[in-house]
Amino acid sequence: MKRLQIKNNITALFFGIFVFLIIGCTGKQKSSNSSSESQPHSFTAIKYAKGFRIEHFDGYTRLTILNPWNNWTPYQTYNLYKTNGDKLPSEGTNLKIPLESIVVNTFAYFDFLEQLGQIDKITGITDGFRVYNPNILRRIAKDSIADLGDPFKMNLEKTLTLKPNAILTSAYAQRDQYSERLVQAGIPVIYNLEWMENSPLARAEWIKMIAVFFDKEADADRIFDQIEKRYLKVKEKVGGVEKKYSVMAGDNFQGTWYVPGGRSFNACLFRDANLNYYYEDDHNSGSIGLDIETILTQFGKADYWFGCTADSYEELNEKDPKYKLLKSVKDKHVFNNKNRVTPSGGNDFFESAIANPDLILSDFIKAVYPALLPQYHFTYIKPLKTDNAL
Amino acid sequence: MKRNAILFSILVILLLTAFFCDLFVGNAHISIRETWAALWGSSGDTITDEIVRNYRMPKALTSILAGASLSVAGLLMQTLFRNPLAGPDVLGVSAGAGLGVALLTMLNGSFLYPIISTLGSMAQVIAAIAGAALTLLLILFVSSRINDSITILVLGMIFGYVASAAVTILQSFADPDSLKVFVTWTFGSTSNVTWNKMPIMAGIVIIGILSSFFLQKNLNSLLLGEHYASTVGLNIKSIRIVLITITALVTGTITAFTGPIAFVGVVIPHFARALFGTVNHRIVIPATLLSGGILMIICDIISQVTISNRTLPINAVTALFGAPMIIWIVLKRKKL
Repeated sequence: MKRLQIKNNITALFFGIFVFLIIGCTGKQKSSNSSSESQPHSFTAIKYAKGFRIEHFDGYTRLTILNPWNNWTPYQTYNLYKTNGDKLPSEGTNLKIPLESIVVNTFAYFDFLEQLGQIDKITGITDGFRVYNPNILRRIAKDSIADLGDPFKMNLEKTLTLKPNAILTSAYAQRDQYSERLVQAGIPVIYNLEWMENSPLARAEWIKMIAVFFDKEADADRIFDQIEKRYLKVKEKVGGVEKKYSVMAGDNFQGTWYVPGGRSFNACLFRDANLNYYYEDDHNSGSIGLDIETILTQFGKADYWFGCTADSYEELNEKDPKYKLLKSVKDKHVFNNKNRVTPSGGNDFFESAIANPDLILSDFIKAVYPALLPQYHFTYIKPLKTDNAL
Repeated sequence: MKRNAILFSILVILLLTAFFCDLFVGNAHISIRETWAALWGSSGDTITDEIVRNYRMPKALTSILAGASLSVAGLLMQTLFRNPLAGPDVLGVSAGAGLGVALLTMLNGSFLYPIISTLGSMAQVIAAIAGAALTLLLILFVSSRINDSITILVLGMIFGYVASAAVTILQSFADPDSLKVFVTWTFGSTSNVTWNKMPIMAGIVIIGILSSFFLQKNLNSLLLGEHYASTVGLNIKSIRIVLITITALVTGTITAFTGPIAFVGVVIPHFARALFGTVNHRIVIPATLLSGGILMIICDIISQVTISNRTLPINAVTALFGAPMIIWIVLKRKKL
């Protein structure tokens, strides 16, 4: 009886600590709901992107990043002002623009900043060895851009000593402790959720989001209009063509084959390139993990394969002879994303393709309907090298 | 007795030296003078003050607390199970914490998001503690039913394997980004603990360490075997439950705040016994505590070294750099 009591006491103590922890931790959180008494005098028109909005008030511009995991409620609000002394709302992050220096923890924005003429404002990046942008690489070599290491585990000390005006980082469903630490140290974090958009034009429209931080809104509108025009023009080329080819995507990674979900950026590109895709009616915006047997069943007869990781058909055969069962491999219609790469692992497909969706769409159309784009040369994708192995 | 006093003095001096070295070393180029000024007043630069006071200082304290408490927890388990390979994670508590974090990471984009998002980065700590608590409850349930320490040890390890298997399944379903978030957690990090999290972690861990000091006599009796211990009036079942609870509390809390940290908890108790040439817990507990703190803080200093702009994960440093140090000592003494 006594023993049982000891055990119960210990259990009660442990749970007491646990409950204390939860209560102690939840009590300190600030409410993120924002309310404003004044009304904006104008909005920036956003045509495709769902993840942000820009409103203009007297004396400041408010950028709101919206939360895709929570019914597009505000994720973070920024009040951007040009002159000190302006009356700013008490809620949200107040930030003076234009920014003079920025640390960029996402490759997708290099080209946006380059097109806006602001690439020289970057003072720090992560994963320097995986960068493709020649301008950034040159500045890393000259030590005018610091490499802050792993994007998921940024070197905090180095970041703080750079004293950037702000840090641009990809946001995830889980708020990471690195961003919290930076905010605590007084460095504003700009959360980027462009990767959650599911159409190429929506992702490209995030140029408008980054442009407000550099007071380049008009330039961003003009650049995006051009991107949109070019994209729609390329898309139009396949408009009247009969939809008869099907496509397979992704590759095998340690036994699991990740293919894009039906609501993903890639699936949208396939639709716009007039290609049939097995998961086009699927509602997943991320990737779907499949095994090789499912791939053979669902994609065995697909005509084209994009996003292969091999360089040649010989390499493909060495990896797994089962690849030869795929129609796309038999027909030699396999493409990888390695047309613009650096020896250390940089790949422009993960950088400038976001800002140039017309080029990636042109790549797919050129691969499947070469006659429609006779003068065009592949930008990001490349056919696998042929040899005598197969 | 005199030898012990000298050895303890050396350990205390080493710990303090390592602690200050850890404050002076980092990736930001801050001179010793600036660091000193930032510690006691202001260096004149807000970023330097921020790095020294709010980054390096809690990181160094976390290292000491983690090293000391995991080593003591390992010692308790080695004594309880009379098994030299036992460590703080034999009860499956670390694996349980891992399962909690894995579940949180993979479920983050789901319907639970509104709850999780209000917790910020504390969500990870709470998930880990919940996972560890669940494993502890299972172990306590087993301990109340079974009167054999070895069976409890085996069951604890089985719980650990089951939790790891569940983590592997979750990982295989996860999207690449969630996977990376989880894998980063498994690297371990002493820099996760900010000042506002410190009181919770330090509070629980210090209570755990202090209570082990009150158990010295019971632990010494256990060394003679459970049968003998019960003949001298020790209530084996109660003491077992107390030891398991302390270990699980300490290990679960540390794992929750820093991620898993391997090696230290298993090896340091051997090192402490060898260094002082005794198995008496009155000596071995404080020796383990100090040695664990020293090793961990040295590992923290080493983990600041950048290779291709990346720092080393602390969980790897403990084994990679701790092992040669221990092997060298063993070779010199010819035994542990």
